[in-house]
Amino acid sequence: MKTAAILAFAGALAALFVLGVGTGWAGHRPNNEVLVGGAISQTGQYAEPAGRQVYSIKLWVDEVNARGGLLGHTIVLRLLDDKSDIQTSIKLYEKLITEDKVDLLLAPYSSGITEAVANVNERYKMPFLAYGASSTPIWEKGRRYIFNIVAVAEDYQKGAVHLARQIGVTKAAIIGQDSLFPRQAGKGAKDWCKKLGIDVVLEENYPTKQTDFTALLQKIKAADAEAVFSNSYFADSAAQLRQMRELNLNFKLYSSTIGPSLPNFPEQLGATAEYVLGFSQWEPLPKVLGHPGMQEYIERYEKRFGEKPNYHAGGAYGALQVTEAALKKVGSFDNEKLRDALATTEVQTIYGRYKVDARGMNSHEGLTFQVLRGQRRVVWPEKWAETRAELPTPEWSKR
Amino acid sequence: MERSDVRSLYLLAAFLVCAYAMPFLVGAWAGTVRLDERWLGNLATVVVGGIMQGGVYAMFALGLTLIFGVMRIINAAHGEMVMMGAYLTWVAFFYLGVDPLLSIVLTLPIAFVFGVVVQKLLLDAAVGAPELTGLLITFGLGLAMIYTAELIFTTDFRTIPYAPGTVQLTSAIAVGQNRVISFVLAVAISTAVYLFLKLSRLGKAVRATALNAEVAMVCGIDVRRIYLITTGLAAALAVAGGALVSIQFGFNPETGVLYTLQAFAIIVLGGRGHYVGALIGGLMLAVLENLVSLMVPNGTAMVELAAYGLMISVLLIRPGGLMGVKEG
Repeated sequence: MKTAAILAFAGALAALFVLGVGTGWAGHRPNNEVLVGGAISQTGQYAEPAGRQVYSIKLWVDEVNARGGLLGHTIVLRLLDDKSDIQTSIKLYEKLITEDKVDLLLAPYSSGITEAVANVNERYKMPFLAYGASSTPIWEKGRRYIFNIVAVAEDYQKGAVHLARQIGVTKAAIIGQDSLFPRQAGKGAKDWCKKLGIDVVLEENYPTKQTDFTALLQKIKAADAEAVFSNSYFADSAAQLRQMRELNLNFKLYSSTIGPSLPNFPEQLGATAEYVLGFSQWEPLPKVLGHPGMQEYIERYEKRFGEKPNYHAGGAYGALQVTEAALKKVGSFDNEKLRDALATTEVQTIYGRYKVDARGMNSHEGLTFQVLRGQRRVVWPEKWAETRAELPTPEWSKR
Repeated sequence: MERSDVRSLYLLAAFLVCAYAMPFLVGAWAGTVRLDERWLGNLATVVVGGIMQGGVYAMFALGLTLIFGVMRIINAAHGEMVMMGAYLTWVAFFYLGVDPLLSIVLTLPIAFVFGVVVQKLLLDAAVGAPELTGLLITFGLGLAMIYTAELIFTTDFRTIPYAPGTVQLTSAIAVGQNRVISFVLAVAISTAVYLFLKLSRLGKAVRATALNAEVAMVCGIDVRRIYLITTGLAAALAVAGGALVSIQFGFNPETGVLYTLQAFAIIVLGGRGHYVGALIGGLMLAVLENLVSLMVPNGTAMVELAAYGLMISVLLIRPGGLMGVKEG
């Protein structure tokens, strides 16, 4: 009997060890694995930008595993698809936290979805570093478990407004899709216009699915706006530019928040995309930006995915570098300690410097580019400018 | 015509006058209506733009209403067929260097065959079954098409830089070249289909089947063959619509859903199964959207409200839609 009891005790100990109790965190994966999970839009309207982040996530996971894993544990990635839908995303994060019991959370994409998910991870006290949300209100509700790495929406049009000022624009229109991020970007553009003395003569939002901008563009022209700050994605900014050309409406400057920064924008639109200003959180230009490790990251990414990383990809990779650094500092997968580390760590990444304020927001600086002869060229801020902006935009008949 | 029918027609007319006067009244109140030459030019541009847009929408709706009329199936994959057309045109343009208009000659037969296959494999099972069956089958087909397109083309947006210039109708009214091309083509194709249905023997058989499949069968019409032709034709209309989308807008595998919704709203408005109704419905929606956007302050945010408000109101007054088709 005695031997049996000893054996049972030893067995129980062994079982406990295998279950991971001995490693100091609540994980319980076999084979020394750590489960890293998140839901990100792989289909639906956000699939394109979020897809680039998925690339970076996969790249990072394989690199970390090749280096011997995260704190010595092999990463098992569980990346679900929220279909660009807020409700789906909420459900998936609930599932990831309560059923799958992931050890480390990854962020979703888009401000709207991140804002909704922030309530879920806050409840379970699991932190994540957002790489796909730039709307300030997310960080103004006293949340403790969400951090951001990217420049805020309010600054997306900052460079464009400055350039408009430089060429003497006095009246501008601010338009944008009727959702959280474009609205914030619009608010920021308005504030920058006010600061620089540009009169906002028209401000209007349109439904997400709007394809016909004939009337809106006519209205902008009728209001005598000289510049258009459009807080838009691909489909809407492409439609606006095309219809401007069709209606032969000429503005001194047109700037869009997201559309022009997507890789295939200049190629798909051809000459219509010329002279358009766009915003970028980051560009794969190691010589211009000079962040450590950029060159190597860009090479690895390009080798694997056949294209250069865009800023969505760069932001996700930078956020993962920060998370890895914070975890190393903590030395375990204790989410409470990880939260504190994310709040205090200062790290240099391929994306730039990370150091958050009391709200959890990073003061990342973005850049403004112009599509010139099919290429995106950095034109603002001056310290990073590759070339001078070619403004005011020539008339359509001369493009 | 019954008395209640006549009354609902008058009510409808009164309502429509009010609906279209509304943006003008709001605009006058807000001071956006100025009645000078420049403003009238804008108004005309916007109305012309709406008509162009409406013509293309109507063509999507025609395919949807055709299938519904003949088989009582709501084809939830209609928008995906539009999307398929856009991709076929895109591939022809970027890889084979074929002009988007010319490529319709290539894509239409492909679309027709695709429609026939869909009918054989899927829709035959849904004819005569409860309406939900057809809806679910086509919904599944639509999802399968979306994910297939994502596998092949990824979710990146595409568009074709074709005929981007402008056509100056008068000094104040301009319209895009690609829009004029799209509109002319949409009208030509829609008219051809309409004439086919009205005049040709086969077209008459299609209409007879739509009226009453059993009687048509008794009269010696091969109803199964008519179904094949109907779906083939509807798919061809959708794919032609897709070609027009590809030269006007950006699209990705998910945009089809939008076109299904739009087409559905139009056929409900125009009268389910009614061909001319689809045309009128398409034009009415697009023009109203543009008027609201132009004159109402922050009106572009309200175009969907206006469009669906119009649809619901018309249905309340006249449940059969504008052309008042009776059910059953």
